[in-house]
Amino acid sequence: MTILVHTTHLALAVLFGLAASPALAQTAPALTIYTYDGFAAEWGPGPQLAEGFEAQCGGCTVEFIAADSSIGALRRVQLEGATTPADLVVGLDVATAGEARATGLFADHTLELANLALPEPWTDPQFVPVDYAHFAFVYDTDRTATPPASFEELIALPDDFKIVIQDPRSATPGLGLVLWIKAAYGDRAPEIWAGLKPHILAVTRDWSESYNLFLTGEADMALSYTTSPAYHIVDEDDHTIKAALFDEGHIVQVEVAGMLASTDQPELARQFLAYLASPAAQAIIPTTNWMFPVVDLGADLNPAFGTLPQPAKTLTISDTDLEANRAAWIDEMLAAIQ
Amino acid sequence: MTLPPRPLRIATACLLALAIAGLIALVLWSILAAATDAAATSRIDIPHLLRMTSIQAGLTTVLSLLVGTAVAWSLNRLRFPGRDLLVAFFASAIVTPGMVVAFGLLAIWGRNGWINRGAEAVLGFPLGNPAYGLGGILFAHVILDGAFAARIILARLDAIPAARLKTGQSLALSAWQRFTLIDWPALRGTLPGLGAIIFLLAFTSFPIVLLLGGGPANQTLEVAIYAAVRQDFDLAGAVRLALTQIAVCSAVILAASALAPVPTAFGSSPATTWHDGSASRLLQWLVLATATLCFGLPLLSVLMDGLGAGLGSLLAQPSFWWSLLTSLLIGSASALLTLLLALALALGRGATGSPPLRTLLGIPAYAYLAVPAVVLSLGFFLLVRDLGLAPAAAAPAVVILANSLLALPFAMATLAPPLEAIAKTRGKLIRSLGLGGWRQFFLVELPLIGKDLGVMLALAFCFSLGDLGVIALFGTQDFQTLPLLMFRSLGAYRNNDAGAIAAILLIGTIIAFVGLPRLAERIARAAR
Repeated sequence: MTILVHTTHLALAVLFGLAASPALAQTAPALTIYTYDGFAAEWGPGPQLAEGFEAQCGGCTVEFIAADSSIGALRRVQLEGATTPADLVVGLDVATAGEARATGLFADHTLELANLALPEPWTDPQFVPVDYAHFAFVYDTDRTATPPASFEELIALPDDFKIVIQDPRSATPGLGLVLWIKAAYGDRAPEIWAGLKPHILAVTRDWSESYNLFLTGEADMALSYTTSPAYHIVDEDDHTIKAALFDEGHIVQVEVAGMLASTDQPELARQFLAYLASPAAQAIIPTTNWMFPVVDLGADLNPAFGTLPQPAKTLTISDTDLEANRAAWIDEMLAAIQ
Repeated sequence: MTLPPRPLRIATACLLALAIAGLIALVLWSILAAATDAAATSRIDIPHLLRMTSIQAGLTTVLSLLVGTAVAWSLNRLRFPGRDLLVAFFASAIVTPGMVVAFGLLAIWGRNGWINRGAEAVLGFPLGNPAYGLGGILFAHVILDGAFAARIILARLDAIPAARLKTGQSLALSAWQRFTLIDWPALRGTLPGLGAIIFLLAFTSFPIVLLLGGGPANQTLEVAIYAAVRQDFDLAGAVRLALTQIAVCSAVILAASALAPVPTAFGSSPATTWHDGSASRLLQWLVLATATLCFGLPLLSVLMDGLGAGLGSLLAQPSFWWSLLTSLLIGSASALLTLLLALALALGRGATGSPPLRTLLGIPAYAYLAVPAVVLSLGFFLLVRDLGLAPAAAAPAVVILANSLLALPFAMATLAPPLEAIAKTRGKLIRSLGLGGWRQFFLVELPLIGKDLGVMLALAFCFSLGDLGVIALFGTQDFQTLPLLMFRSLGAYRNNDAGAIAAILLIGTIIAFVGLPRLAERIARAAR
C-alpha cells in the first residue's frame, strides 16, 4: 500500500509541477525483479512470493517490475545493460533462455537443485525452473466432441475448423508451437504449416488475445497449455475446457528465473532463487500462474491439477539446435502461412 | 491579411515546433546510440509492406470520410431524444482501445457473433467470416475512424450560422442543394487534415491488424518494426524501418497541411431545424440506423459483457481504484498539456500569412502519428535512462507527455480550422478595436471556440485514458492505468475483469464526450 501511495504521490507531484523526487534510498536490502504482467499482477504469484520471501529474509524488500511479456523484460535488461536496477529476471522460458544466456548478463546460480520433479532432468547452471506445462491446443467439449489427436488429423478436418495461435516473434507459446512442429516433423514442418494455414483464424500478438477468441467461441481451439483447464475447474467450476493430446508428443515450456551478474545483492538474489524452487514458494504457483510446480507438492497440489491428462511423450530440441536455427524456423513458418 | 501582427504567437509556435522536432530526433538518436549491431540486415520486404499498408490505409481513409460525412449529415438534420448520447457513443469509438473495439466487433460480426448466430437460427446457415482478413481490418478501421470523422464533421455542420440556414430555407433549397451550397463549403476545409489523420491511423494500426488480419500476410510497417525491436533486437533495423514510415507519413502530412483550411463561420448548434423532404429524411434515418447498428452494436456488446458477472469482483479490488485514480490524473494532465500545445500551435498558424511557415507549423502536430509508438516509447525509455533517471520516477511525466503528443493531431484538427477562420473573418474587427493578443484571445477567440475546446479536451483525455502503447514499457505493478490492468487481466484468464474494465473505459469516454464540450462552452461563454 505504501508503494501505491508513493506512486500516486508521484503522479500528483508531476501534476502540480513539482520535481519528482527520486525514490528514497533504501535502508533495507531490496531485490528488484523484472517479470511479465501476469506474474506480477495482484492475482498472480508475484505478491505472494514477495510476501513469503520477505518473511524469511530478515528485513529485505522485494519489488516486481512488470514488462508486457517475458521477452519484454529481457529486452529491458538488455537495454539497460550493466546499469540495470534489476537483480533477477523471472518468467523467461527454455526457448528464450539461450538468447538471455548469450547476452552475458546473467550469472550462475550455483545452487544444488535436488528435489525437482520435471519431465526432463534439470542441468542449467544459470537458470532455475519456476513452473512448467506442455503446450497444447485447448477445446470446449460442448462445441468439439472429438478433438483432433495429431497435427495431421487437425489438417484433415474441414477448413471451417479454426485454431488461433500466437506470433512466434512476440509470444513464447507462439515460438513454442514452431519448435513443437519442428521437433515432431523436422523437415516436414513447412508442409505441416501449409496444411494448418486454412485452419488458422488469427495469429495474435499475445496469448491472451488468442485465448479470448477461443473463449468467445470465435475459434474451435487455441494454442495454450495442458494446465489451462485447471483455471476453469478451480475458479469457475467449469469442466468443459480440455487440452487435446497429440500422438506426436508435446513440447514442454519450463519457465525459469535467473540472477543478473550486475546485481549488488548476489547473496540475496541467490537466496530468492533457492526460495523459488522450494516447496513453500512452489505451493503458490499452481493456482496463481496455472502451471505445474517444479517440485512434488504431494497433497498440497490442488486436486484439479491431478485430474489433467498429460502427454505420453515429451518432445525436446537441444539448446544448440535452437540457438542456431530459431530465426530460420520462424521465417520458415511465416513463409508457409503467408 | 487583415489580422494585426502577432509576433509572440508565431514565435511561440515556432519554438514549440522546433522542440517537438528536436524531441523526435533525440528519440531516434538514442535508439541508434543503443543499437550495438548496426550491420544486421533486415529480413523484411519493405516494398511489399509499403504496398499492402498503403492500399489498406487508402481504402480506410476514403471509406471513413464517406461514412463520416453521411453520418454527420444525418445527425445534423435529425433531432431526437438521446441524440447527444448517440453522438458521444460514436465519438468514443476513436479513443476506445483498439483491442476492445476489435473484440466488440467480433461479438457481433465474428464466426460466433450475433449476426452469424442469428443467420443460423433464421436461415439455417451462418453467413461466414466478414470480420477477418483485409475486409475485417477495413471494417474495424471504418468503424473507429468513420465515427471519429462523423464527430468532427458534425461539429462543422452544427457551427453553420442560423442566418445562413434561414436564407437557404427561404430559397427552398433541396437537400442536395443545401449540401452542396451550404454544408460542403463549411466542411471541406476539415477534410484534408481529417483524411491525413485517418490515413496515418490506419497506416500505423497495430492491434487490429494483428487480431483481425488473420496473420503475417496482413502486416503494417508498425508491426514489422515491433518485430524488429522485440524479436530480433535489431535496433538499427528498427530505426531504418521507422525512418521509412516517417518518410511516407511526412509526405501525407505535408500534402495535407499545405492545403489551406476553408474559412467557416461560427455559432452554437442551431436550434432551428432544417426541413428536408421526406425522401431525404428517410435516407437520413436509414443512414443513422445502419450506422448505429454497425458502430453501436459492438460497443453495446462490450457494455453488456462488461457490466455482468465481472463488475462486482472488479470493484472490490483496490488495484482497480488505484488504476482508476491514476488514469484520471494522467488523463486530466495530458488533456491540459494537449490544450496548451494545440492552442500555441494553432494560434501561431492562424497568425502567420506565410504559406511555408503555416505548413511547417502544421507538421509537429502529426509527429506522434508518423513515429511508430513502439519506437517512441523505446526512445523515451532510453532517453530517461541516459538522463540518469529511474524509469519508475519519470513514468508519469513521460506518459503524460507521450499521450499529449498522441492527441495533438486530433486537437489540431479540432482547433486549427476555427481559429484560422476567426483570424480571417474577425481580423478587421480586432484591428479596429485595437485589441492586444491576450484580449483578442479572451474576448473574441475563446468564446467562439468554447465547444471545440471541449471536444478537444474530451479527445485528449480519452486518448490518454485508452493508451496502452506508452504505459506498456513504463508501467510497474504499482503504476498502472486501467488499460494496462485490462491487458494484465486478459493475460491471467481473468476475462470477466477485462470485460468490466473495457465497459468502464467506454462509459468514461462517453461521459467525457457528453460532458466536456458542454462544460467548456459554458466556461468560455462565462469568460466573456
